Amino acid sequence: MVAIALATALPAQEPDLAAVLAAQAQRTALVERCAAAVCSVMPMSGAGGGSGVVFDPAGFVLTNYHVIGKPELEAPPAVPDGVPPADAARGKDHYHDRKIGLPDGHLYRAEVLGIDPGSDLAVLRLVPRQPGQVFAHCELGDSDRLLVGEQVFAMGNPFLLATDFTPTVTFGIVSGTHRYQAGTGNRMLVYPDCIQVDAPVNPGNSGGPLFDTNGTIVGINGRIAVGDRGRVNVGVGFAISSKQIQNFLGDLLAGRHAEHGTLDLSAWFMNAPGGAAPQRGVFVQQLFRDSVAATAGIGLGDEILAFDGTEVRSANQLATLVGVLPAGAFVTVRYRPLQPAGGFGEPREVLLALSRLDTGSSRSGTGESARLANGANRRLAAKALRRHWTAPWQPLADCRAYRGEDRIVAIRREAVLVLEQAFGERRLLLDPAGESFALDPSGRRELTAAERTRLDREQACNAFLWTSAERDQRLAEAELWGGVHVFGRPAYRFRLPGDGACEVWLRSDGTPAGFAYHEPLLDAHVAWHRDGDRLLRVVDGVPELGWRTGR
Amino acid sequence: MRSSAALALLAAILTATAALAQQKDFGKAYSFAERAPQTRLERTVDRLLPSLVKVHGASGVATIQAYATGIVVSDRGHILTLDQVMIQKDRTRVVLHDGSVHDAQLLPEDRQLGVRLLKIDPAAVTGGLTALWPAPAATVAAATRPGRFVVSMGNAFRLAEFSEKVSATFGVVVGRANTALRHRLSDVAFDGELILTDACNNPGQYGGGLFTLDGDWIGLNMRLLDSKETNTMISAAIPADELLPYLDEFVHGKPRAAPPSANAPVWTGIVLFDQAGQRSPPAYVERVIANSPAAQLALRPDDLIVRIDEYPVRTCREFREVLQRFAPGSKVVVTYKRGTTVLQGELELAAEPRK
Repeated sequence: MVAIALATALPAQEPDLAAVLAAQAQRTALVERCAAAVCSVMPMSGAGGGSGVVFDPAGFVLTNYHVIGKPELEAPPAVPDGVPPADAARGKDHYHDRKIGLPDGHLYRAEVLGIDPGSDLAVLRLVPRQPGQVFAHCELGDSDRLLVGEQVFAMGNPFLLATDFTPTVTFGIVSGTHRYQAGTGNRMLVYPDCIQVDAPVNPGNSGGPLFDTNGTIVGINGRIAVGDRGRVNVGVGFAISSKQIQNFLGDLLAGRHAEHGTLDLSAWFMNAPGGAAPQRGVFVQQLFRDSVAATAGIGLGDEILAFDGTEVRSANQLATLVGVLPAGAFVTVRYRPLQPAGGFGEPREVLLALSRLDTGSSRSGTGESARLANGANRRLAAKALRRHWTAPWQPLADCRAYRGEDRIVAIRREAVLVLEQAFGERRLLLDPAGESFALDPSGRRELTAAERTRLDREQACNAFLWTSAERDQRLAEAELWGGVHVFGRPAYRFRLPGDGACEVWLRSDGTPAGFAYHEPLLDAHVAWHRDGDRLLRVVDGVPELGWRTGR
Repeated sequence: MRSSAALALLAAILTATAALAQQKDFGKAYSFAERAPQTRLERTVDRLLPSLVKVHGASGVATIQAYATGIVVSDRGHILTLDQVMIQKDRTRVVLHDGSVHDAQLLPEDRQLGVRLLKIDPAAVTGGLTALWPAPAATVAAATRPGRFVVSMGNAFRLAEFSEKVSATFGVVVGRANTALRHRLSDVAFDGELILTDACNNPGQYGGGLFTLDGDWIGLNMRLLDSKETNTMISAAIPADELLPYLDEFVHGKPRAAPPSANAPVWTGIVLFDQAGQRSPPAYVERVIANSPAAQLALRPDDLIVRIDEYPVRTCREFREVLQRFAPGSKVVVTYKRGTTVLQGELELAAEPRK
């Protein structure tokens, strides 16, 4: 109102001023809204600290791994007021709670849920001060939409200035996108695809959000380039992109130690080796003999042409492309093999799963012992993700897969449920009652227990066939188990109660992306990755190419 | 019956799927595809990017960077960069925005501006070069009034490699610095008024451009000005219109107009202990020529000249530069140090004696 009153009172020769004041009013309103979600993250005792941002009304907070640091080795301290800390039951090598100050002026206890030392991320959960507390939050945005020159603002607690936890706001533009910044120490804290900003970012800003002009979180500020004057801002700050964050968010929310993928090779941009025609490109220069790349057929001196569909134009770019992906992600590598006689062969394309990058942090492994979050937290995370399920739910009438002579068909919405698979010579047709099957084309016998289990498990977790009511019912007690990369995009793994390790994979908008279970007939863990009509079956971690959906 | 119909359908599809078994487009994890620019600044940056190139020289020495930014100034391969960055004959490479690498020839530098043109072979460039040209003086003057928004572009800290985009930083014009200010700052080749800005400028961004939000080229990024007195730094740029005579001469072959009535050289009779090198040494007197103004002042060898009038003299080069401000016949106060004593005296500058 003030802005409008001022604008109308001004003489007519200042037409721009009204627009400037309107933009300013819009900006201050935006800052006020975003500031409510920005917090200060501090250890329970001792100095130091950083920033963070609440990205979910249930109180999930994103910050930097380097703000959290390594887990404490001793038992958590006793609490004077007698309220047992959330981490009381934890033993050695678990994180103690952290202290988080929100702009509402209150201090909160927060549990460390998931860490990602590789890309310098951590997720915490605020412990509500009263039951059912809804926290002010900002949504994660799409950093891919950022353009150089676009306005952004950083928030946080630089130099821990705000003793009342109201954040500092700095304004600037995107100076660069897709920047690669090498890590420190043993491949930790790599910023493989970060956003460069000229908004001042200083010590204490670490873990704080970078907002676009819509007020969505497009990055987490964690790093600055410094000149020769020490750790102060020179106008070159780096933020971990929200795109990269989303690739690891499933693991972080599920209380995992998120793990980065690697090709286990180093490639340089250089002249073609072996005196081939003077041509520059990205060539493999170091390779472990047992690495995924070597196993897939890539050799020393081979030229890397494309990674997962993106043309590779520099070694830096390859590092950028690989660096944002989690371990286990299936990717394609297109390369030209160096021939023993010199020269290069025809381009080839291989599909491989990225192996685990050892970041040298104190926690490793993917087993249950490596988990930071308990079952209650994992169910809470699963429930929290529901609010993003905005995509219309469209169950399929049937769900089929083909590969050559292999066919797996489960037709659900028609009268007949068909389970057909080339197990040797058998073809199974289930009768309408679902109690027996036909040995095609004649004969009939009862399902074996394993076949029955196989069918039950698929029915339980094949979300493509569910109605929306079934989705709500089946996922009511599901735990968030982690993240998974399906056809180049992240999805969340929901683990269903019961045996068989049944998992449903959903995109953040709720669209099904796959499912997995222990398949009793093969006695193997079978996972189906699906995106539109693209399909991949993975049996005990081994991808099977060539599967297609039906119709 | 329905199930057998389904089977027949499956069999029909089978042959088609076998052919498609090894599909190429398995996944696309991370494309760098971008949305179209929308705001004025986004559009400006997008338009300017193809004209900004990365310049790599020989390996750097100590704090002297071997990398900088250049600006394409002609479609015939002329690229303007700062000469204060270590570039070396036959070793200088230019990386265009498309990632292509080109060997660059060095054209004569302009010592007054501290800039140099490079030349690459335009025939080796696919898709042609997008050239920029400095804004005229009136535009530069209007655009560099304090408080005007500017965007600075260049390869800060060599963050961008090959086809990666150079950095853009945003700020306002702080002001234009006069010469007296310059003399209290670090060694600067350029002798005119500088544009000072708070748009961040870092190593590697030097030689890049300072632009208005509409993309008018109004300045060439210099090294950070570093005040040794206050231990502070500020971003500075050479006003783009000052580049025009040099660019006209070496890009368009227009002979440069004679410099406006420069002062005739003055003579003091002081011979300094000067050595060629990267840094000009302090202005110690080596000998004093007999019957010269210096002899009249009774200057002696080993005296250290520290000031001429109000201009500090810290190096032999500054001694020469300051003297260029005066015409023969003018009187200046010379402050000099003899041992631990600071002395002052008046020196009447003479005309250069005929040889």
